[in-house]
Amino acid sequence: MPRNHYRRRLEALREAVLEMSALVGDRYELAIEAAIDGDEALGQRVIDGDDDVNERYLAIEEECVALHALQQPVASDLRLVTASFKIITDLERVGDLATNLAAYGSNDGLHPAMEFRGLAESAGDMLADAMTAYETGDVDACHRIAARDEDLDERCRRASQAVLRHLVETDRARDRSSEALAEGLDTVSSGLLAVRDVERVGDHAVNVAARTLYMIENDDELLY
Amino acid sequence: MSNAREDTDERTDRQRTDRDTSDSLITTEVQTDATVGERSAPTAVAAHDLDVYYGDEQAIDDVSMEIPEKRVTALIGPSGCGKSTFLRCINRMNDMIDVCRVEGDVTFGGKNVYDDDVDPVALRRKIGMVFQKPNPFPKSIRDNVAYGLEIQGYSGDIDARVEEALKGAALWEEVNDQLDSSGLDLSGGQQQRLCIARAIAPDPEVILMDEPTSALDPVAASKIEDLIDDLAEEYTVIIVTHNMQQAARISDRTAVFLTGGQLVEYDNTTKIFEDPEHERVEDYITGKFG
Repeated sequence: MPRNHYRRRLEALREAVLEMSALVGDRYELAIEAAIDGDEALGQRVIDGDDDVNERYLAIEEECVALHALQQPVASDLRLVTASFKIITDLERVGDLATNLAAYGSNDGLHPAMEFRGLAESAGDMLADAMTAYETGDVDACHRIAARDEDLDERCRRASQAVLRHLVETDRARDRSSEALAEGLDTVSSGLLAVRDVERVGDHAVNVAARTLYMIENDDELLY
Repeated sequence: MSNAREDTDERTDRQRTDRDTSDSLITTEVQTDATVGERSAPTAVAAHDLDVYYGDEQAIDDVSMEIPEKRVTALIGPSGCGKSTFLRCINRMNDMIDVCRVEGDVTFGGKNVYDDDVDPVALRRKIGMVFQKPNPFPKSIRDNVAYGLEIQGYSGDIDARVEEALKGAALWEEVNDQLDSSGLDLSGGQQQRLCIARAIAPDPEVILMDEPTSALDPVAASKIEDLIDDLAEEYTVIIVTHNMQQAARISDRTAVFLTGGQLVEYDNTTKIFEDPEHERVEDYITGKFG
């Protein structure tokens, strides 16, 4: 087959994107633990590790630009390079969201009423499944991932209500000491922000699924 | 978006596809217009069940296609696939090859160019041709351009037509003070533009180009590409090229010929280069074979 060097570079690009997604997935899982447990040291590891994610992002971006400039990919090759170029942006953002989560748990951890672990893991599963679809070229999986986002959004809404309920209940308990209020506000703000970030991880997973569907079938249905 | 609409409206005759990079950020609107434009463009040239043989060897195998007016249509494919043969059928250049036999129809303006009552010389005035290597006559620049007009006995202002043709070929500014110099003294890129001026001087409707930039350096080639873009405002341009990126850059429609003289896929250029229907075409344009 002609253009063997080029084809090897395309395959290396695909593998690099998958490796980046695995790295981001690991950081995200650690961030969930740090947020739930209030594990500041673990959280700091996640924050420090974001540089690795950013470096991989920049290296893959550079390779995509080089492939466009030097190899002029077309057809399915063009879609692979273009989709990968976009997907790494989503992955890099998930890496940033992981650092947010790691920071929110720096006090006593997230409020248990949020059922945060299940929520966050669902978003992480969506992202992992989207990357599997990217790896295997699974069209049906792309559609299924997009459909799961509505359920995640609804669960995020309920989790946010649970956090706010905590604030109201604190108020009802008439514990209006400055310490209690400060603690309550911290719990609420970090809880709401964490839920928002998980919801965004779900959105990025849908983006990955949408770009993957475009890559496989030139179908932009999920992009809108 | 409003700017995009205005820009498109200024080019109502030829609404471009998103290959025009200046429009690339507003593709939604422009692509829609281009699609409408493609549907509404009348057919300039059509082939119906076309077979071409060189002796016993078949060079074109049952090709049917309609080429839209005032668009750039690129013919691509590996060597020996029949794309140049197809191009030369359109203005009957293959008549000059004794062993060449053409079956089927090639229509221009609804008339089969192979009908007995068609004069090939008159046909070639309406369907001009530019070749791979610039081939100016050993005459002055003016005489090169005026040649076709004089042959056809044009009685109007030949100098005015020469100027018009040289302007149309984006060469006037460079040669207007040396019209009596030999065309052979020009650079390769200028010579090719001179040949384009010669081709458009008789006011053709179609311009056939057989790898018009393959003998030129990149700068000269890019000038020809710009010129092709401009020419399509007035003429139907059909170009054979081995350079797939060139086809992607300059054409509205692309026809992919593959081994055996078969037209495997013919569609909007964007479609061909983003999502071809046929695996053989995908393999060819991605370089998996050919």
